[in-house]
Amino acid sequence: MTSPTLEDLQTITEQVWQSYLDPEGLNPLLTVPEDALPSDVAASISVSGPWDGHVVITCSHEASRQAASALLGIEAGEVTGDDVADAVGELVNVIGGNVKSLLPDGCLLSLPHVITGGQPQSSKYPSAVEVCRLQGVWQSEPIAVSVWASKAA
Amino acid sequence: MKILIADDSRVMRQIVTRTLRQAGFDGHDLVEAADGRQAHDMVADEKPDLVLSDWNMPEMTGIECLRALRAGGVNVPFGFVTSEGTDEMRKMAEDAGALFLITKPFTAETFSDVLSPILG
Repeated sequence: MTSPTLEDLQTITEQVWQSYLDPEGLNPLLTVPEDALPSDVAASISVSGPWDGHVVITCSHEASRQAASALLGIEAGEVTGDDVADAVGELVNVIGGNVKSLLPDGCLLSLPHVITGGQPQSSKYPSAVEVCRLQGVWQSEPIAVSVWASKAA
Repeated sequence: MKILIADDSRVMRQIVTRTLRQAGFDGHDLVEAADGRQAHDMVADEKPDLVLSDWNMPEMTGIECLRALRAGGVNVPFGFVTSEGTDEMRKMAEDAGALFLITKPFTAETFSDVLSPILG
């Protein structure tokens, strides 16, 4: 089963940034080379059916706070922990929904799941392999978006 | 008009509210539901003129909410605002009686194009 490509992920992510996080075109997500970047916050959503896998956003605490601030239209200092979970959960929901649109009919999308604590992603999906990863810096803070396919897919 | 915005994400309800304003739909009475079950119940209590609903929600999904409303004889104008926009889901939405399906991420222009015939 064909998995989404890095180009697909880039197109979807750019649309999300243009619509919600950078409507003025002032703070785009700038891609950076692969490196071990902080991933304090992880939001994931699962796809099941003809294609099985996950879409994952990881970022720093500060990036998640900035994202919640931008999405809610409030100052970063007013952002609560619930706001952060809601914001990164909704970001992965939108990106995951668009990834699902590239997959065969019959796939189902889960509800988003958000965790904080920063454990390596590979430990969360032992039966899946990362198929593409978009890694960048937004407002000087690291954010990565990745797609993981089930090894059986 | 009264518009019911149903989405389990407060962030997305806020974005929908902001986008309605950016699209020029000021002055409408907005009420919010945090899942499909609550949306279903609020349609009876609040009697909205339009429902803007997410698809993927806990308790009751948006499509389940719409089907339950129609099964109960409630024909409130209903449209989806969802991250999932496959042909399969558009057909399911249409078959259930939805007027439209707006995919996330959306813009104020999209809201204007889709909602102007309904909201004026």
